[in-house]
Amino acid sequence: MVLTFFDKTGARVLGALDLAGDFAVLAGRTFAAVFRRPFDGKNLLNQLQALGVNSLPVVVLTSLAVSMVFAVQLAFGFRQFQAEGLASQVEGLAIIRELGPVITGLMLSGRIGSAMAAELGTMQVTEQIDALECLATDPVHYLFVPRFLAAVVMVPLLTVISIYVGFWGGYLILVGVEGQSAYVYGNEFYKLLAFRDLRIALIKALVFGMIIALVGCWKGYRTQGGAEGVGNAPTSSVVTSSLWILISDFFLTKLLLV
Amino acid sequence: MALIDVVNLSKAFGPKVVLSNVNLQVQEGESLVVLGGSGTGKTVLLRNIMGLLTPDSGHVAIEGKIIAQLKREELFEVRQSIGMCFQMAALFDSMTVFENVAFALRRHTKMTNGEVTARVEECLSMVGMKGTDKLKPAELSGGMKRRVGFARAIALKPKILLFDEPTTGLDPVMTDVIGRVILDLKHELGVTTITITHDLKSAFEIADRIALLFRGECIACEPPAAFKVNPHPVIQQFLRGDADGPFLQDPPPPKRKTQEAHS
Repeated sequence: MVLTFFDKTGARVLGALDLAGDFAVLAGRTFAAVFRRPFDGKNLLNQLQALGVNSLPVVVLTSLAVSMVFAVQLAFGFRQFQAEGLASQVEGLAIIRELGPVITGLMLSGRIGSAMAAELGTMQVTEQIDALECLATDPVHYLFVPRFLAAVVMVPLLTVISIYVGFWGGYLILVGVEGQSAYVYGNEFYKLLAFRDLRIALIKALVFGMIIALVGCWKGYRTQGGAEGVGNAPTSSVVTSSLWILISDFFLTKLLLV
Repeated sequence: MALIDVVNLSKAFGPKVVLSNVNLQVQEGESLVVLGGSGTGKTVLLRNIMGLLTPDSGHVAIEGKIIAQLKREELFEVRQSIGMCFQMAALFDSMTVFENVAFALRRHTKMTNGEVTARVEECLSMVGMKGTDKLKPAELSGGMKRRVGFARAIALKPKILLFDEPTTGLDPVMTDVIGRVILDLKHELGVTTITITHDLKSAFEIADRIALLFRGECIACEPPAAFKVNPHPVIQQFLRGDADGPFLQDPPPPKRKTQEAHS
């Protein structure tokens, strides 16, 4: 009984270490392949379009919704002790430091991370990745690198857009509904912020972009077992990358705010 | 020295031994057909030759280079001299037929666009698929996909062509078409080929030698005429296509008389 327990625990630990090692090796191969020739510009442009431009509506809508809900909560909360003026300051702080990058990261892990896992997973089970190997093409260079670069460029850009949309979401509620002065809102929104906060947001977005692309590609590349495997890969990709986005957000915040 | 040298190759997946001490030598220009039942390790043999799998013991050497010992860049160099035709073609479904065939040319040669177009047309006409260059793989039938797969495999003018069950799942007429295409490629290009097939008719047409894998071991490798009269019971059962005999591990269901089956 006790031996079985230790056996099972040991097997699980070894399995987890195996997975972590596999991910680390593939991530390392991706970083190394970024600078390798030939550079596939057309493939990169396609990925920039698929990952970035096509994700714009979902990022705009979620950022608008979250910033509006947050403004409603802040207005209600601060009204309890007659400090409505603080709502726009806290709104700005929350949107730039946390909501912008995290909401963008989570939405994109659902939209583009799952798409990467499904696409590469299908390629894996239909032997298209083996075909790439047989055509003397490194799948990591051909498939991972354009997606990785596109995510690293597009997630920070979409985060900036999310922050901009978040400003107007707060404006709609605090100025349009709560009756604050537009001039005051414009000034107060940035009052507690420094340039450092935008830099932190962009660093977070960059890391989230890496996580989304690497996890999505990794889950797809390691897909096994036909249709069931292809079905599981996107789910697993979204869960894993969302978890890592939230965990890394905590550590990045602690590290970068010091 | 043999162009392809398979030496004491063994491969297992967990407890299941798929290949056990397989030895095969294929000379330059020779055409080897590998026969065997489902799950006897034929595809695993090809994947070891391509370096897609690593042997548990033994090795595969191409022109004297041991595949499992090559660095990745060296392996890619060797792979440029091998064309692999997959069982289900494995065409890139996001690309057109033209882009599929042009893929390796664009990545590994310095050909101009005009030269690439000319080479793609040449390859497609060799497999009887001229005029399909703008189609996507989803718009092709099974036989057409296989032939586009052949065209993609020969684009870089490889020395070796590997065919993994090129006729499985096709109707008898298309099976004959594919057999003829393989024969044409063999004669026109003078390449060394290894073909895995269940189709005995095309096997005897294509082969200079026929090998039979049985329970992970190569039990025969000889010219078609000698293979046909080989007294080994497994070979004779395979040639007869009969369920009764030593070929199957589990006994087959009893044979019913035709009248009994219809009543």
